[in-house]
Amino acid sequence: MPAPTRILAAEASLRPAVFYRRKGTAMRDQTSLIEAHIPGLRRFACALLRGDRQGADDLVQDCLERALSSWHLRRAEGDLRGWLYTILYNRFLSERHRRGRRGVPDASLEAAEAELPGVDGGQDWALEQRDLLRGFAGLPEEQRSVLLLVGVEDLSYGEAARVLGVPIGTVMSRLSRGRERLRHYMNGGVDGRNAEVRRVK
Amino acid sequence: MTPLGRPVEEDDLHARIDGQLARDRAEDVDAYLATHHEEQARFSQYAAQRQALRQALANQADGPIPARLRIANLLAHQRQQRLRRFAQIAAAVGLIVLGGIGGWAARDLGGSSGSLSPGSVARMITADAITAHRIFSAEVRHPVEVDAGQEAHLVQWLSKRLGRQLVVPDLASAGFRLMGGRLLPSEDGPAAQFMYENGDAERLTLYLRTGVGDETAFRYHEEGGIGAFYWSDEGFGYAITAKADRDLLLRIAEIVYQQTSPGGAKAKIPPAPGKPS
Repeated sequence: MPAPTRILAAEASLRPAVFYRRKGTAMRDQTSLIEAHIPGLRRFACALLRGDRQGADDLVQDCLERALSSWHLRRAEGDLRGWLYTILYNRFLSERHRRGRRGVPDASLEAAEAELPGVDGGQDWALEQRDLLRGFAGLPEEQRSVLLLVGVEDLSYGEAARVLGVPIGTVMSRLSRGRERLRHYMNGGVDGRNAEVRRVK
Repeated sequence: MTPLGRPVEEDDLHARIDGQLARDRAEDVDAYLATHHEEQARFSQYAAQRQALRQALANQADGPIPARLRIANLLAHQRQQRLRRFAQIAAAVGLIVLGGIGGWAARDLGGSSGSLSPGSVARMITADAITAHRIFSAEVRHPVEVDAGQEAHLVQWLSKRLGRQLVVPDLASAGFRLMGGRLLPSEDGPAAQFMYENGDAERLTLYLRTGVGDETAFRYHEEGGIGAFYWSDEGFGYAITAKADRDLLLRIAEIVYQQTSPGGAKAKIPPAPGKPS
């Protein structure tokens, strides 16, 4: 698991001063600090896995277990949210890599179809939402993760870059390409593969 | 408003809909959009889709957190696993010692620690702990720097020096009472030594040091009638040292582990030094 090690090692080099005895107040703090981010982590995981909720909760559980066992390596004053999202994203990547090597097909595309919200009474917005999610599920993973972190989880561009381990410029170009591709899809394109982003100069 | 400031670029337009622009710059961008209708149409579509995606995904995080993701449950599970693993490894170390492997462990003792592999850190700390035990447990007049009468001060002082909140284990159940402790230099920053004594005036020391990395390691070593049982946990290296008595050392190690590991049940909680965590 090369990716998480990179992050934890970076964290560890910063400052060893974390507090060892975690009982009473400190334990409750740790619990409530982390639990505040669980809804967001589940949402992010679920969207990364294109609607596979069971898989998403597995991923979140894995992330939380790792966060707890390396809690003492995190900087006391550091950005907890970014740290948790980073762990989750790295777990996602290594799991995908592992499956890829074992030749397990990506089941999450079918799961996406199954888990899309039902269409009640032919409401237009529900149809459109369904369509949007389908278009979104069709984006490459690197664009989906940027659109999620920035547009849904409200991370700044800098925070998103740290979570994904890429430069900000890469975040911006993935954001731009992802949004244009989704727009193209929603405007009736088959997918956005050929959509060109017109750079504004 | 500074309409002739930096030219407005694609990144600015995205930052505008993501709410990541300073107000001045946002005004520049709005002025730009007012005169560039094609961009305006494109970015209002982006913004609408951004909003729709938020709404579509909002319900996926709704509902109560499932039991398997509750932190209290995860912590309880982790604690069980750690205790089980500790017990297994402690038992394995015990068997190895029975097989008379003590001499084998000694062969690479004192080797240089150029690399920081877990094994070499363990060797280094075990050797330091045995040396420190040998020197100070023989002291009649000054076995400790700060005695147990000032336990709160002792804990606060050593915690500050080691940069982490220490817990002084209570070994009364094994018949040992705390005499006090001292600060020691080591190759990699300060180390602490706590000394205990039983009714037969037998002395036992607990040596601990930070910065051993995140790995878990176990090691038993004997040298000249002194035995040391070493393990690491959450970046802390521990060595229990006394006259070589495998059963005693294992028993003490288990007590110390239970009290110092985050899940330990009966830890003595020292007064919080300075800032709370």
